[in-house]
Amino acid sequence: MSLLSLSNISVRYGRLTAVRGVTFTLAEGEMLFITGPNGAGKSSLLRAIAGVTPPAGGRVDFADHDITGQAPEDIARLGLSMVPEGRDVFGSLTIEENLMVGTGMHAGSRGWRARAASELEAVYATFPILKDRRHAQAGLLSGGQQQMLVIGRALMTTPRLVAIDEPSLGLAPNITDQVYERLIALRAERKLTLLIVEQSSTRAMMAGGRMMLMRGGEIVLDGDARALGQSEAMQAAYFGYGDH
Amino acid sequence: MARRPSTASVARRTIVTPVLLSVLLVIFALAAWAAGSRPFNQTVIDIFLQVIFVVGLYTFIGNSGVISFGHVAFACLGGYVAAWTTIKPMMKSSAMPGLPDWLMQMEIPFWAAAIAGAGFAAFWALVFGAVLMRLSGIAASIATFAMLAMVNSIYSNWDSVTAATSSVVGIPIVRTVWPYLVAAVLSVFAAWAFSISRHGLALRAARDEPTAAAASGVDIPRVRLVAFVLSGAIMGAGGALYAHSIGLVTPDTFYLGLTFTTLSMLVVGGMGSLSGAVIGVLILSSLIQILRWLEAGVAIGESSFALPGGVQEIALGVVMILILMFRPAGIMGNSEWTGRLPRFAKPGAPGPDNRSQPTGDQT
Repeated sequence: MSLLSLSNISVRYGRLTAVRGVTFTLAEGEMLFITGPNGAGKSSLLRAIAGVTPPAGGRVDFADHDITGQAPEDIARLGLSMVPEGRDVFGSLTIEENLMVGTGMHAGSRGWRARAASELEAVYATFPILKDRRHAQAGLLSGGQQQMLVIGRALMTTPRLVAIDEPSLGLAPNITDQVYERLIALRAERKLTLLIVEQSSTRAMMAGGRMMLMRGGEIVLDGDARALGQSEAMQAAYFGYGDH
Repeated sequence: MARRPSTASVARRTIVTPVLLSVLLVIFALAAWAAGSRPFNQTVIDIFLQVIFVVGLYTFIGNSGVISFGHVAFACLGGYVAAWTTIKPMMKSSAMPGLPDWLMQMEIPFWAAAIAGAGFAAFWALVFGAVLMRLSGIAASIATFAMLAMVNSIYSNWDSVTAATSSVVGIPIVRTVWPYLVAAVLSVFAAWAFSISRHGLALRAARDEPTAAAASGVDIPRVRLVAFVLSGAIMGAGGALYAHSIGLVTPDTFYLGLTFTTLSMLVVGGMGSLSGAVIGVLILSSLIQILRWLEAGVAIGESSFALPGGVQEIALGVVMILILMFRPAGIMGNSEWTGRLPRFAKPGAPGPDNRSQPTGDQT
């Protein structure tokens, strides 16, 4: 049974087509990397799934709901939490306030406060640095801490699928290592499904899981990350047969 | 230390701000009471009314980041509610003959009029807001301005119920400072309670990063609407009390002049901070008052010294430019007054940067 399924999704910005007819399914508990060069349409695809940029055509199903063209807040309520690119923390809010924002959508349901409190403790257990600085303004955190905060914020909504856009962007390699370490641990602990857009295919190969390669708005390769990494097809697809 | 992140604990941590601000307001009220001078008393009442208006503005603008040029319209709605409900029926029937009979006969105390004004303004904020809150940025700001122009135009022309542009007189005047103090303190606490509430938190998140807020499940138009209605209610109560402070209303009392004074007080104090809203009013109002005295003339020994007329506006403009040059985010920036000095925060635990909005691009 697939958790997320896309059929023939396309995304257009005016006359520019960023994603052309993408179709794939993602099973519960899977970790999928979408890699590819700049401008391949990776982020556009993610934004279309999360409802931030409604797709121009095609259909997205998530957890037995047709979510095509729905508002991002409604999609988030169904359990698909997106971490947008650029670690956009709520800069003037404290760390704890950042984390609590996501729990608001469950407000009113029975026992939501207690659940929010236990989610918060769970996030603090995963990222102890956030607990130490819980009342610090989020805008003052370092890049790595902000990345942990936005992942923590996504977890606070108790999601089934977390979609992350470029978690390594602008981070030092050792910080990126830490972020990935936590992500992989989280997937194991919570049976979380992960969809990660990552420009570096090496990262994906190191982490394992499934990998898709996008180029020119289309998916050109799909398979096991480690196996794909070794193949010549990958090199050829990534570097576009020497046109770089 | 496992502590439950309930609203109560946030309240305990932040309540010092509205308490300190209230203490500051009480000091002003006591000064007016002790001085016992009529003009000074009136000045302090004006200051409290400005506090109510600017706190009302802050409730929406500060939390949402959307500049509204139209909130004074809600003060207008509240002011006329006071006129409709408190003037003696005999006077009403000659000035505003078009009022329905039940309203014509109504004569309620001023505090009830303030509550009614708040309710009436909140209702219209809900109606206007349901449409306006879907807009963002400059489009939203222009639309709020259009709302102000509409309300002003209706109240300036609906002869039979608003007496058009002529003053509606006969509103019972309340000269003591205490009711105004109570209303100002209540509005400060209402604004504080909203900004730490679930909706306030969601709205502040949407102000910082709309996309990420929506991805966290925040329904942005809805939380904006909640703030719009609450701030409309505060403005409405302020408008009704304003009417009781001078005893008359005209549509132009609540138009461009009041819009720009209140907005500049908020900008000078710091748009993202409740303390900024209150302190902006106190500083600018005090300055205006001092300049007024100087214009009227001060006796120094034998000779008397007076500034030429018009210096008040010029000096006020210069002070505003200077404050905004050196503190572009206003006196308080986005931080709240907690009685501690953020500049002397412990090393290693950086205090809030209260000069500019953090951009979050440090790596």
